Amino acid sequence: MSRNRQIFLMVIVVLAFVLQLSVLPQFKMLGVQPDLILVIAVVVAVQDGPVAGAVVGFCGGMLQDIASPQVMGVSALTKTLAAFGAGMMKDFFMTYSILLPVVLVFLATIFEMALHQGAMVVLGQEQLPPFRIVTVLAESLYNVLAVLVVYPFMRRFKFPQKEDSVVLTKPSKS
Amino acid sequence: MPAAPRSNRNRIILVVILVLCVTIVTLYVRESDKGPLHKIQNFFLDLVSPVSNAFAKIFRPIKDGVVNLFHLPSLSKERADLQKQVAELQRQRIETKEMESSLEELKRLLHWTEGQAEIETVGADIVGQSPNNWQRLMIINRGSSSGVKKYMSVVTDEGLVGRLISVGSRTSVVELITDSRSEIGTRDQRSRETGVVEGKNDSTLRLNTMKEDADLQAGDVVETSGLGGTCPPGIPVGKISKVTKRSSGLTRYVEVKPYVQFSKLDKVLVVITPEPESIILRESQ
Repeated sequence: MSRNRQIFLMVIVVLAFVLQLSVLPQFKMLGVQPDLILVIAVVVAVQDGPVAGAVVGFCGGMLQDIASPQVMGVSALTKTLAAFGAGMMKDFFMTYSILLPVVLVFLATIFEMALHQGAMVVLGQEQLPPFRIVTVLAESLYNVLAVLVVYPFMRRFKFPQKEDSVVLTKPSKS
Repeated sequence: MPAAPRSNRNRIILVVILVLCVTIVTLYVRESDKGPLHKIQNFFLDLVSPVSNAFAKIFRPIKDGVVNLFHLPSLSKERADLQKQVAELQRQRIETKEMESSLEELKRLLHWTEGQAEIETVGADIVGQSPNNWQRLMIINRGSSSGVKKYMSVVTDEGLVGRLISVGSRTSVVELITDSRSEIGTRDQRSRETGVVEGKNDSTLRLNTMKEDADLQAGDVVETSGLGGTCPPGIPVGKISKVTKRSSGLTRYVEVKPYVQFSKLDKVLVVITPEPESIILRESQ
């Protein structure tokens, strides 16, 4: 990954964090808001590999944990695993169209929410259930809407490294 | 063969991240509310809340605009309905004025409750909401610097909103009564039956009574009992909306609709006197 791409991802994560806390709560549907940080982590996992996605998931999740009243580290952990899992799963799909991140974001959201809820129950912060399927589906669909905007946007800022570019040369006559 | 070292490096990064996460979670859960990680969190909450509040104020008109666009077709019907309501309200206003004077007199005669006369509150603005969809929390712009303490009750003129579960220097976190972890000691205003109201992470509450055959009816007002030591007695919580028998016939499901409309909350009051500890002490005497 190029240095420019790394700087771009850092800026995007901070921006997503600010939007997550400030703007998105104003645009809830069915009492649910999209998880922009998770969406970005999955998109990075698809475009740059599972470990890059995991790092973005960790940084974004940790920012969310630090500045919100919940157990610190849980979001970082769940987003890391969800993004890494999505990055690993992309190799099983035989497509590179927008459908790939859409499906992965949908699955990653369900996985992340289940993991988050499970972690909170294990830590004694939450009782079983209230794992409401409507909430899970609403957030998954909302995240899918978000990825339709985020994925093409982030693909524009790929910043390929010099060694990645293909140099065409004439074959020698000998 | 450059792929092998790179894959090893990636594996190490992933393991370090996971170990770091688990360590932070463990330290956070094991430390007290005054531990370093909690302090860092409170510091950032104080830092982020004004920014979050400012953005919320900026985007509220846009949000209202979008919501109004969706409701445009039904607006004309609503206007006609509202005109009818205005006429009805004007009639009611005249009646209310007459009743107000008699109510004031009744209040003085009944002395209201001693507990409510003792209540002192401090006003607060809501500056943030729960960042995920599993918790029903709100952040207010009052903290320990305003005399606010953990477990203090948060109310509005409509009724009980929740209680404080975390207090920073300038902000605090309110656990709403609709949160699934919330449990409030309550009583039925009519029959005086006591119970515990639990949140369900949706718009209604569930009332569990001490006695299974407790005298409860739909429409009964549910208020805080003061038992449990955190909420002062007599604060309205909601109205019983449904009393249904389970299929087994042995247990009942009592649904309570809260008086407070949480989606429209903007300002709240924090009950600073009596303090939660003093309530616990008074109950034990």
